[in-house]
Amino acid sequence: MNFNTFYRACGLFALSVLALALTSCSPEGESDVLSEFPTITLPPIEVAEGDGLPVEFPEDLEWITNNDDPEFASPDAIRGGTFRTWILSFPLTLRTVGPDSNGSFAGFLRPIQFSPVTFHPMTRKPIPLMATHWAFGADGRSIYFRIHPDAKWSDGEPVTADDFVFTVQFMRSEQIVAPWYNNYYTERIRDVKKYDDHTYGVQGSHSKPGDELILDLGIGPTPDHFFRMSDNWPVEYNWKPAPTTGPYHVGEVEKGKYIELHRTEDWWADDLRYIRNRFNPDVIHIKVIRDETSAWQHFLSAEIDTYGLTRPNFWHDKTNAEAFRKGYINRYWFYTKLPVPSAGLYLNTADGRLADKNVRIGLAHAMNIELLMSTVLKGDYDRLPTFQLGFAHYDNTSIYPRNFDLAKANAHFEEAGFTEVGTDGIRVRTNEDGSKDRLSFEVTYGRDDHTPRLVVLKQEAKKAGVELRLDLQDSAASFKKMLEKKHQIAWLTWSTSGLSPRYWEHFHSVNAYEYDPEIDEMIVKTQTNNVTSTAIPEMDELIMKYRNSSNLEERISLAHTLEQMVHDHAAVIPTYQVPYTRDAAWPWIELPEWLGVETTGSLFNSQANAAGMFSSGGLFWINEEKKEEILAARDRGETFDPVIIKDETYR
Amino acid sequence: MFKLDPQTIKQWKRFRSIKRGYWSALILVTLIVLSCFAELYVNNRALIVSYEGKWYFPTYAGKILPGSMFGLGDDYISETNYRDLKQKFKEEDKGNWVIMPLVPFGPEETDGDHIFESPSLETKHFLGTYDAGRDVLAALVYGFRTAMAFALILLVCTYIAGICIGCLMGYWGGAFDLLFQRLIEIWNTVPFLYVIMIVASVLSRSFWTLLGVMVFFGWTTMTWNMRTSTYKEKAREYVSAASALGASNTRIIGSHILPNTISVIVTFIPFSIAGGIAALTALDYLGFGLPPDQASWGNLLKIGTANLQSGWIVTSVTVSLIVVLLMVTYVGEAIREAFDPKKFSYYE
Repeated sequence: MNFNTFYRACGLFALSVLALALTSCSPEGESDVLSEFPTITLPPIEVAEGDGLPVEFPEDLEWITNNDDPEFASPDAIRGGTFRTWILSFPLTLRTVGPDSNGSFAGFLRPIQFSPVTFHPMTRKPIPLMATHWAFGADGRSIYFRIHPDAKWSDGEPVTADDFVFTVQFMRSEQIVAPWYNNYYTERIRDVKKYDDHTYGVQGSHSKPGDELILDLGIGPTPDHFFRMSDNWPVEYNWKPAPTTGPYHVGEVEKGKYIELHRTEDWWADDLRYIRNRFNPDVIHIKVIRDETSAWQHFLSAEIDTYGLTRPNFWHDKTNAEAFRKGYINRYWFYTKLPVPSAGLYLNTADGRLADKNVRIGLAHAMNIELLMSTVLKGDYDRLPTFQLGFAHYDNTSIYPRNFDLAKANAHFEEAGFTEVGTDGIRVRTNEDGSKDRLSFEVTYGRDDHTPRLVVLKQEAKKAGVELRLDLQDSAASFKKMLEKKHQIAWLTWSTSGLSPRYWEHFHSVNAYEYDPEIDEMIVKTQTNNVTSTAIPEMDELIMKYRNSSNLEERISLAHTLEQMVHDHAAVIPTYQVPYTRDAAWPWIELPEWLGVETTGSLFNSQANAAGMFSSGGLFWINEEKKEEILAARDRGETFDPVIIKDETYR
Repeated sequence: MFKLDPQTIKQWKRFRSIKRGYWSALILVTLIVLSCFAELYVNNRALIVSYEGKWYFPTYAGKILPGSMFGLGDDYISETNYRDLKQKFKEEDKGNWVIMPLVPFGPEETDGDHIFESPSLETKHFLGTYDAGRDVLAALVYGFRTAMAFALILLVCTYIAGICIGCLMGYWGGAFDLLFQRLIEIWNTVPFLYVIMIVASVLSRSFWTLLGVMVFFGWTTMTWNMRTSTYKEKAREYVSAASALGASNTRIIGSHILPNTISVIVTFIPFSIAGGIAALTALDYLGFGLPPDQASWGNLLKIGTANLQSGWIVTSVTVSLIVVLLMVTYVGEAIREAFDPKKFSYYE
């Protein structure tokens, strides 16, 4: 190759690089992406036969509102300041639906989209929010809403009935890649109709008591003007935060480091009766701290404002730090009355030995939950008597838990044939075919910090001749194992929400077994919440009756019977309940005199909701003057008397 | 009488003269031997129980002795709580007695009355307790034993595989060598930590599964060193001489090449042990190691760092870890120096 050819080649190469760079910068590049994923117009709402709201607006509706319940925010609240909190990992998306949208950050994003009606945190009655009035349809399964005329999105656009209709179109669309929502908004929401700009109706699948209907059909708006639907929707909107109707919208984002929620200026709901004096900070700064130990150090050095202390080791042991001893940080112990999460040991009855009821009852009597509560849990928690609790009249209060009782445990195990005791102290049963069964079970769980709890149960269970083998996995892997029904015993807590207990997902046989035509047999059904593989025909019947009933009294009576059946079946060993919230806060984060209300989830919840429905959050505010004082005092080394407040009003 | 090779004697003398390494080796061996009998001084089982004139030795009984044996009621089918038994015998004063070990707590045993308590002579938790009231000292002693056993078994397994394959690669060379070189290169690119995570989620965790995975991925390291050493030795004249005399391949490798590469192997041993201990501890710390309720250093370290306010946990385990790893490294240094061919090889 001579030099001329070499230079020519270099020149050509440089030119082609330049050309490439130019084309990739040109605006045509973008339009290519757009043409690649053309805008899709979502189809109008499809209505199945037998469903559908009336075409003409029904004139005989009785409009309901509620402006008589007490206010629960403090008039002393000061607006302004930055509230600093943290999360363990940066979210994978800022969408609220679609792939990866179910992370912990959804806990911040979802409550800032308001629903038409919410529930009063003390009286538990429906109260107006996006809607000023609502009315029940004559068919018993539809509601009509009147939207607040001032309601606006955080980008200034007015909220209209179209936004609510769009929610159903949007949630039913394939483009959002969210099969669960697709199904829910098709199966459970049957129709939605706009009557004028501020009036619309929603129809559900079943008739239900009024409050339940509001909860089911009170779907929030989706900004019709903001989203461009296309097959690329999840990618296109991954980092584009949608406008909101709540007090905050996503403001500043520094990927991997922090997200700030900013308060919407001239927010439309500022003066509403149940909203005023709430959501006081101007900015919520959510910092990513990838390790809990480190987050705790951030809190001790006042880089985070509050910290949850519900866990006993936090309240009793970790607070033995200088910032607490010197009285800089306040501690609050506040009793509440929320639906109780169902914490317990879930026995998989699909396992040969656990199919025997005697073994299950024996196991319940072999779990020394009382000792666990008095030692590792420091006597802070209460025993959970039954599977579901905290739904007022629905609670079956006549059920008592099976306590640790070796005599009873031994009797039941012996009845199940586990009469011999091996050299290691574990009971053994010799089957008819000569094979042996050991009374040894694997307990699957996903929380490292629960190991001490299980270590205590394991040690005590040995006294009844039972061996527990601890199978710790990371939380996602352990839950996967449970949903695949590959566990023997699951150590698990179901979170609870809503107004009434749920039985279908946990105990109906359709969620336990399914027919496999290939081998012509029933096989265990995976990916359902029936982790005990319970399948009892009589129970199925009652569950369906309970599900389809709209008579409150009948539902309550059915719930009592069902709860008793769950207890008798003994596939769940309920463990403990935590009837309070405990928090620590630097003193510049101030609370109303009454601290919180009976449905407060956490005293320093910056968002609206607790348990998914009660509007109890956002009561605190920031006192900037006090902040300067306290920090200056700390730098001078001054000490104060530690403040520990225990409020048992709602015990 | 058994006579040592003069070169070995020289190496041994040289090793003894390096005081730091020599004393470390002595202490380590003592600790390992002591830890083999940990049940005799750190245990919740009694050494001797004298009940109604008969003696029982629960530690080495080969099975658990239920409480019903010592008159604690027929329902008492599980293992006797010997601390309670001791107390009971003392109160009854009927001539029955129990001798407990120095530290009367087992490594996995919880003591609900003493959760996260600082060291105390009175409660006999000499280094305090952690999480559910488990004894820190017991965890340290049994954790040391587990870590050492793990490191030593891992060493033996990986070395046997590594040396065999490495030697053959060097000795045969050619296609065999080429094949194994590529195989090992591929092997080494498999992300080890992911495999551990997958295995941990599929199989239930245990000492042996973990060991299996570690051996599966650990044998490759030694092959490279052995391959090079064997190549070097193979080219020497004594190998050609042996070959000319009609010695078999097995004989050449076993009696001629291996003894001459022993210094390479021996030098690596202490560092492999340190690596084994560190690997187990790290995996345990990350939560992919031993079963979560088994006492181990990694677990102790994790609980310690999560509970910095209970400083005795993290202090005990960090100090132990540093001291043991330091001693192993000192031994390694001393061995390397003692076996240094620059001082003790004879060339013509």
